[in-house]
This record gives sequence, C-alpha cells and structure tokens, in this order.
Amino acid sequence: MDTILNPFLLYGLIALGAIGVCIALPRRKGGPQIFGALIAAAAGGLAVAFLTLKAGKDFPNVYFYIFSGVALGAALRVITHPRPVYAALYFILTIIATAGLFLILSAEFMAFALVIVYAGAILITYLFVIMLATQAPEEDEIEVLTDYDASAREPIAATVVGFLLLAVLTTLLFRGVNQLPPIPINRTDGLLADMPRKVDRVLRNHGVLNEGQTAKVILTDDGRLEAIQISANDGADVFALPRDQWPAELPVKNVEALGFNLLRDHPGTIEIAGVILLMAMLGAVVLSRKQVQLDEDAKLKQARLLSDDVEGNEGTAAAQTPSFARPTGGIPR
Amino acid sequence: MMTHFLAQTGFPEPMAAITLAHYLFVSAVMFILGIIGFISRRNLIIMFLCTELMFQAAGIALVAFGRYHLNFTGQTFVIFVLTVAAAEAAMGLALVVLLFRRKESLDAQVWKDMKG
Amino acid sequence: MHATETLFQTLATAAPQASPPQGPGWAMLIPALPLIGCVLAGLCAAFKVKSKFPAWLSVGCLATSFALTLNLYLQHFSGGNGPVLITTAFEWINLQWGPAEGQQLVANFGFYLDSLTVLWMLFVTGLATLIALYASEYMSHDVGAGYCRFFAAFNLFVFSMACLVMADNLLLLYLGWEGVGLCSYLLIGYFYKKPSAVAAAKKAFIVNRIGDLFLALGIFLTFVHFGSVEYAVIFEKAAPYIASLQAGNLDQIPAVVQLIPLLLMVGAFGKSAQLPLYVWLPDAMEGPTPVSALIHAATMVTAGVFLIARTYPLFLLSDHALPIVGWVGALTALFAATIGMAQFDIKRIMAYSTVSQLGYMFAGLAVLTPSGGAAHVFTHAFFKAMLFLSCGAVMHGFAGQLDLRKLSGVGKLPGWKVVNIAMLVGCLNLAGFPLITAGYWSKDLILGEAFANPHTAAIGWILLLTAGLTAYYTFRVYFRVFMGPVSFEPGDENHDAAHAAHGHDAAHAAAHSHTTHDASPPLAEAQVEAEHPHAHTPHPAHQDFHPHAPGWAINTVLATLAIASFAAIFAVHSFGSSPSWLESMVGGSSAHYTGVAAYQAAHESHATPAATPSTADATPGNDPVPTTPESGLTTPDTHADAHAHGNHQLFFGFDAHKALMVVSGVVGAIGIFFAWLLHLRGRTTAAYSDADKLIPALGPIPKLAQHKWYIDEIYDALIRRPLRGLAHAFHLIDQFLVDGLVNIFGALPRWVGATVRPSQSGEMHGYALGMAGGIAVLLVIVLLASN
Repeated sequence: MDTILNPFLLYGLIALGAIGVCIALPRRKGGPQIFGALIAAAAGGLAVAFLTLKAGKDFPNVYFYIFSGVALGAALRVITHPRPVYAALYFILTIIATAGLFLILSAEFMAFALVIVYAGAILITYLFVIMLATQAPEEDEIEVLTDYDASAREPIAATVVGFLLLAVLTTLLFRGVNQLPPIPINRTDGLLADMPRKVDRVLRNHGVLNEGQTAKVILTDDGRLEAIQISANDGADVFALPRDQWPAELPVKNVEALGFNLLRDHPGTIEIAGVILLMAMLGAVVLSRKQVQLDEDAKLKQARLLSDDVEGNEGTAAAQTPSFARPTGGIPR
Repeated sequence: MMTHFLAQTGFPEPMAAITLAHYLFVSAVMFILGIIGFISRRNLIIMFLCTELMFQAAGIALVAFGRYHLNFTGQTFVIFVLTVAAAEAAMGLALVVLLFRRKESLDAQVWKDMKG
Repeated sequence: MHATETLFQTLATAAPQASPPQGPGWAMLIPALPLIGCVLAGLCAAFKVKSKFPAWLSVGCLATSFALTLNLYLQHFSGGNGPVLITTAFEWINLQWGPAEGQQLVANFGFYLDSLTVLWMLFVTGLATLIALYASEYMSHDVGAGYCRFFAAFNLFVFSMACLVMADNLLLLYLGWEGVGLCSYLLIGYFYKKPSAVAAAKKAFIVNRIGDLFLALGIFLTFVHFGSVEYAVIFEKAAPYIASLQAGNLDQIPAVVQLIPLLLMVGAFGKSAQLPLYVWLPDAMEGPTPVSALIHAATMVTAGVFLIARTYPLFLLSDHALPIVGWVGALTALFAATIGMAQFDIKRIMAYSTVSQLGYMFAGLAVLTPSGGAAHVFTHAFFKAMLFLSCGAVMHGFAGQLDLRKLSGVGKLPGWKVVNIAMLVGCLNLAGFPLITAGYWSKDLILGEAFANPHTAAIGWILLLTAGLTAYYTFRVYFRVFMGPVSFEPGDENHDAAHAAHGHDAAHAAAHSHTTHDASPPLAEAQVEAEHPHAHTPHPAHQDFHPHAPGWAINTVLATLAIASFAAIFAVHSFGSSPSWLESMVGGSSAHYTGVAAYQAAHESHATPAATPSTADATPGNDPVPTTPESGLTTPDTHADAHAHGNHQLFFGFDAHKALMVVSGVVGAIGIFFAWLLHLRGRTTAAYSDADKLIPALGPIPKLAQHKWYIDEIYDALIRRPLRGLAHAFHLIDQFLVDGLVNIFGALPRWVGATVRPSQSGEMHGYALGMAGGIAVLLVIVLLASN
C-alpha cells in the first residue's frame, strides 16, 4: 500500500482536530471548551478508526483503543484545564493510560516503572510545587483563578503550528512505516542459556528435573532456543525435554530480558544515569537552600490569623498564604 | 485474545506494521498536544507539565518501535528518558519556585527582561 | 626672462611637425608678453599698488608685443605674400593610442605665422596698446585693486586673442576662444556690484557657450575625419578635395567634410554676435568703455570672422556653408540696424552698429571676398574703437550720461574738440562717406562683390539698404549729441553734485529769468561753465556739475585712431594695378587658398577674386585709369579675373564695382541728409527733435524696434522658461526619485528592523512558537522536497 491513509482524509481530520483543540483551549470568558473537546475527540477517533479499517485483520487489541482514548483525552484536558492542580491530576491519568499501552506492548517493567516513578514521584512533586507557588487570594476573592491560568495565549497560532507539525509528522511517519525493514527473528528465548540457575530452579520446582540431573539449554546457530537437554550429573542419559513438558514459567520474562539488555548491553548508560540523578539531587538541594527566617512577630501574627480564621472568615484572608512560601525580610531576592 | 497479546514472555509474536502505525499516531498526537500546551499556556508549571507530556509521547514511540523490532533497547532507552525526565523535573521545579519568589507570579509573560 | 630661455631651448630641440618651415623663436613672445603683463598686474593687486603703475606696465608689455609683431611683419611678410612659418613654444598635447594614422592627437602650443595672422595681430596689439593707454585714464577713478584687476583681465584677454589668432591647431584656437570668452565675462562683469553688469556678463558667457559647443563639435568632426587638428595637416589633407572641387566633382567630397564648416560657423556666429546669438553684445555695454572698444568692437567679435577666414578651404568645400553665412550676415546687418535706429543709449547704438557691421563682414566672406571681409574688419576695428572711445569720453565727462535725449551740443564745449573731431571721423567711416573714409572703401569691396555675382544680388540689396540705415542712425547720434544747442544733464554717477547741479541750474534759471527764447538758460549756463572750464578735478570737490573734459591720454588715443582711420584707406584700397596691401596679406594666407576659383567654377558662380598667389598677377581686364587716391575709379586688380571669366552681373547695365561705388556713396549721403533733416535742423532742445513728430505715423514699428523686436523676451519665453521648468522637474526628480532611492536604502534597514523587532519580545512563548513554527516549516519543506 502506498499510503496508509489518504492524505486528504488525514489532513482534513487533522484540521478538524485543530479546530477542536483551539476551541477547547481555555479563554477568559469561559468559552465552549467542551464543544471543542468533542470535536477533537471525534477527529481523533475517526482517524484511528480509519487506520483500523486500513489494518484489515492486523488491527490492534481493543485495549489499545481504550487506553489510547483515555490517554489522549486526558492529555487534551491537561492542556486545556484552567486550574493547575486539575491539570496535574489529569496528567496522572494520562500516565496510567500510557502504562496500559506499555502493557499491551509487552513492556510490563516499563509500565509499572512509569507509574511508580512518574506518577508517584514526579507528579507528586509537581503538585507540591503548584500548591507552593499559588498566589494568595485577595480579601474578597477566596478562590481566584489567575489571569494567566484562565486564558491561553495565542491559541490559534499555537494550534495551527502544532497541527501543521502533526500533519507533517504523520505523513512522514506513515511513509516511513511503509518502508520498514522486515521483522527480525525473535531471539529473546535464547537468553535462557544465560540463566542456568533459573532453568534449574523452574525445572526442579515443576518436578521435571530430578536429583542427580542437570539441564542444559541448547541454542541454534543464530542464537534461538532449540532444546533443553537433560542429562545425569555425570553426563549420561542425555535426552531432550519435549516441548509439551516445558513449564509455563520457563520462557524469558520481560524483566529478565530487560535486565540483561540493560546491564549487559548498556552498562555505561546506567552509570551516567546515576550521575545525572546525583547531580539533580545536589542541584535541587543547592537551589532551594534558602534560609527562611520568620521572626517572632510574624509567627505570632500568623498564629493569631489562623485562630481567627477558624472562627470565621475575616478580611484578613489575605494572610492565608503559607508562611513558608514567603520569606520575610532579610532575605535577598 | 487477551493472553495472546499480553505476553508473559518477551515478544512471542511479531507486530504488524499497521499496528505500529496506530501506536505512532497516538504518540504523535500526544506530542503535538504537548507542544500546543507549551506554547499556549502561561502558567510556568503547566508549561513544564506539557514538556513531560512530550516525554510521555516519546516513550510510547520508543517502546512501540522496540516491540516492533523485537529489540529491548527501546525499553532501555525509555528508562533513561524517565531518569532524565525526573532529574529535569526536579531542577525545573526548583527554578520555578525561585522565579516565583522573585516576581510573585507564575506567569511566564512577566519575564520580559530580554525584550528588544 | 628665464622662461624665454627655456622656451628657446625647447624650440631648439623640437623637430618641425609639418612641412612649413620653422618660424623665428621670438615670435612666441608676442603672446607671452601680455601674459606676463597679466601676471604682473596680478602681483600689483597682491602688493596693493594704488597708482597707475599697472596701466603703464600693461601699455609697456602691449607696446612691446606690437613692436615685435611689426618686426615680424617687416622681416618676413613685408612683401605681402609671405611663407607660412610655424613656431612651437612647447609640446602641449601629444597622444598616440595606436599605430594607424588617425590615432594620434598632436596639439602643440605652436604658432602658425602667415600673413593673415600677422595682419590680425597687427591691429589687435596696436589697438590693445592704444586702448590700454586710454583706459589708464578712463579707469583712474578706480585705482587700487579694481585697477589691477582690470589690467590683469585686459592682458589675459590679449594673450587669449593672440593664442586664438596665432594658433597652429584648432585646439589652441579653442583655448584662445574660451579664453577670450572668459575675459569678456570678467571684464563685462568688472563692476560686479551692479546686478545688471553681472547679468550681462553671464548672458555673454552663456550665449557664447552655445556657439562654443558647435565649434567643439566641428573640431571633433575635423579630427575624426582628417585625423589631426593642426592646420598644416588639415590643409594638406583637404588638398584632394580642393582638387576635386576644381575639377567640378562636388559629389566626391564626403558629407562629413561638408558638415564641418556648418558646425564651425555656428561657433563663429556665437562669438561674433550674429543672428540668433547676438543678444549678448548690446548688454555687454555694461562693461567699461575700453572693454567695449577693444573686445566688443575690434578684437573678440572678429574672432568669428577670423575663424572662417582661417578655415576658408573647408568652407569652400561645402555647398551650403557660405550661402548660409551670407544670409545670416545680411539679415543680422539689417536687423541690428533697425534696432539701432530706435535706441537712445549711444553705447547701445554703437553696439548694434557693431553687430550690423559684423554682418557685413560675414557677408563679405560669403560673397567670396575674404579680403573684403578682412578689410572691413581692419577698418572697422579702428573707427569703431574710436567711436566707442569717444562715447566713453562723453560718458566719463558727463558722469555716466549716455542718453542722447539728455545730451546736446557737446562738441561746442571747450576741451571737447578732439573728441568732436574723432567722433565725426568715426561717424563718417561708419556711414561710408564716399572717398575720404576707409569705411567707404572696405564696404564697397563687399557691396561690389555682392552685386557682381547673380546669386548674391539679394544679399547685396539688403546690405545696401542697411548702409543707408547705418548712415542715418550714426549721424542721428552725432547730430543729437555733438551738435545743436548746448544742453546736458549729468548721469547717475554724479551723486554728490546732483543736488548742487540742480540748485545751480535753478539759480541760473532765476538769474536769467528774462529769457524769451528757448536757447538761453542752457546757453547761459554753458557760458557760465565755459568761463571756468574744469579738467581733471575730482567730483566731490565740486559744488555744481561741470563736464569733465578728457585728458591727454584720451585725446592722444583718439587722435591716433583718427589718423589711423585715414591711413587705413591706403591699406585697404589699391591705387594701382597691384593688389592693395590688405589684399595681398589676405591673399597669401589660407583665406585665399587655391580653391576659390574652383569654387566659383564648380558652383557656377562668376567673378571671383584672384585665387592663388600664382594668379595674382593675371592680366587685368580693365584699362588702368590714372590713379589718384581720391578718384578711386580703379578697380583693384583682384577683380581682374572676374572680368576674364566674362558674363558677370551688371548692375542695371553698369559694371557692378564701379556702379556700386557711386550708389553706395549716394545711399550714404541720403542717410546723412535724413539724419540732418530730422535731428539737427530746427532742433532746440536735447530731448526732442523733428523725428519725434514722425514716430506716430510709422505705427508700431518704432516701438518694436525700440524694444529690440522683443527678441530677449522671445528667448526668455522659448528657451529660458522651458529650461527653468525642466530644471524644476529635474529638481523634483532629484528630490524624490534620486534622494528617495537613497533614502529608501537608508530607510530599508529601519523598516526591516521595525518589522523584525517585535519578534524579540522577551517572551518565552513567542520564541517557543517561533521554534515550533520553524520546525514545522522545515519539515514541510523536507516533505515537499523529498516527494
């Protein structure tokens, strides 16, 4: 097939999506964001539908559609929601959907690594900072939405540029996909040869291997798993274990394969990653090393305010800002 | 069908190219959404969030390619991307906090000292 | 004179350029001395000399130059037809850009000495000396820087004129041409604080420039065709054309050669004030009178005549050049005469008469008597200079008064006798009084030749009519100003004594209030003035106005010129069978080249003067009549060949030359008679005469003539205004288009900057958008390119 999708169709859908996103972006007067979201969703859905139609029998799993729909919808909400906290939360949803996509792609480790690291650490940090850096509300407006949150800046220009880029990307992408080289042979199972203890343990757990027997993995010439040879400890009684007797746990798991790949093929990168993390940690410590000194008066004042606030909301709500967010005098800015 | 694709082992079956196209399309759209968000939102933290969105999209694309070529390097690389994203998020947020302290506002547009 | 020694040395080492033999080295002093005089006068100005010393210096240099010219004449050309000699002062231009013949330009500072040159230089240097002497007294009121400036420019003028006349190549002639134009400008604008003088100087220069352009074109064309600008080479190369002319094959002469004289002649018209380029000459009277006398009567304006005479062979080769010259000359003569009849400023009248007489000279050249033209130049130089100097004496004596309605009876005042006689002699010459004046003889040469030729008879009639008009207006001046009742008013320069003079007049009028007849108050005043004549006392010391009788310098010069005017008769007219002195001088030069007879034959005209020196002694066709200076019935032998050709025009049945002698005399007498009738008989006041009664009867003509036929106004409307408009248009183009273009180049970076600057907003989003947009565009390009 020459093109995966008819270009006019593709660009038309992209244009539709652009319009939708543009409408969906937040604006001061609170426009029809939902309407835009619907349009964008329709466009995206149609595009994926056409792709699937084109796929014929090779269409992906239904879970792909679910997860990708959630991911894209949440991503759209991230960029269009006026409130920062909600945007962060929608981002977490995106992460979870993306983790689902990873699962479908047989990358389990990546899936839970994503959830743990990204959603569990990075986004929590973001939430902390959002709450840290929120401006104190005025006396008469308790919950205020700042101007820069409420309105998007140059939505049309941003959308146009973005979707132009999307059009180009997808065109190149689909063109590239057409020209991919043939799929290589799966040689993952050959890694079993590097895990003799696992083979041994699994076979023993399943009773295939008895005392006094040794298992050995035989590989083909190009590294694929050919057979498991069981022999007596002294090398007699060699026979190949038939395939139907192989335990279900025997094949190489994703984590194991990933581990081998990571540590065997890319050892230096791990070191560098470690250094990067170290530097980030140090940097964060250095940057945020500000002595926040509250003098006694401010502390008293703060305490009084808090107690007042418990009784009833006064006009002094202006002092609701967490004190640790605002360093008092003596600190150079 | 579920177990057919949710493999317990690494890559039991090859993936068709068209399926790859699906995943890449999703990745591209998410990337673009990230760009649009970066350009159009004014809150510094949201802008950072959009960069993280772009990282996500790159991750999807990497893993999809790794699955297609039956190569674990894709996933390995995503680990590193993740690492870098974490480091960058930490540093970036520290800087955002400092910036906020200077101008009491998270608006990216107040920083116009390089005008002209 | 170290310069002279080096000059001699270069001369010694310089090889002769052309076939004519080397001339004497001291001949280069003839132009060099006025130049030295100029430098010395300039030094006098630098040293703030406040006496008449620059004048004596100038007179000395010019007199020496004249003496050298005389010596040159006596040594080499006293026989009349002398050889052609070339003296080279130094090598000026010598360029060669190729081996071929036409790729070399040689123009040395060399002097072509033949009889025409010597003839011209004789009267140029002679008159320059006399007029310098005159100017020493005339300009004496201005001693100091102005005096030195005057004499410096005067000497520079004589140097330029000498270069013009003595040049051996057209480029040096052009140098002299421009030089005389420049000096004319400097001298006309001598009173540079007077706006009218400055305007007149500019007008002269610019109108001359128009002619100079055509002269330059003619020189270019000459160089292009003949490959050289030197006379010797040109005449050599023109010989084949002359030969074909003699053989009657006119079509073998290429059109280029026929074009050259047409261009040269326009240059001559400019310099010699012919139609339509004469307008500068009357205004040039704003300059001091010596300037008018020397430059605008005798020397510069004859440069045009000289040019045509010098390049006469080229003029002969053209079908149309000489007829055009003739018609232009004749029409100019008539035109200027009509204007002169209606003017009241005596210097203006003289200026118009100069224009008119120059027309005569050109007509003379055209009717194939270059000797006649040259003769008229020669005599005109003397008597016109004399006329101008007399007018100048009047102006000098009457504080700038030149209006003939305000002057009368000047000749009767004591101390003015010499001026009176000089004026009378000049007027007689100009009017062509028969027999006793040189003007009569030279004019007769031209008139006779005009009628002797059937093709030019019309020109002859015009010239004859003009002769009558000339006589009339000349004697109008004389009878009004110098004769009649004595009455005068001082001119504008008499500021201090003006009121006192009027007071004096009033007192006298009161004292002599018993007058019953018209003439008494002025006469009484004149009698009172006559009792105490004043001479040479400065004006501010006077309480009343006394006319300033001229001093010894002026009187001497006028007397000399008067005598010279009479002596010129002998130069111009031949009293025997041999040609006159002037005839032989012109005949031996390029002006009388071998082609004249051939021209006649080829153009089927008749009665040419003698063509070559070889034919000068041809058999006379007439019986020689016993000669007396007064009888003048002998025709000069130059016309002998005319009769030999047979079949020439008869003037109503008589031989043209003899008949015209009588007719022109009669016409002149008639003119004088009418002038007497209208301007002297019964005239009692200065302001009015019988002519004024006649004016209404003539309709609009006198008014038109007085306003110079509105030629200046026509030029203004036709030429000046459109040029002004063009200049304004160009100014606008310059301002908007040219300056606009330049400003656009200056404004372009500004606009670009103003357009691009907003992108440097300092906002992160703008940059991000730019980045993303840039990537998008790049990828689009990649996509399209890889399609």
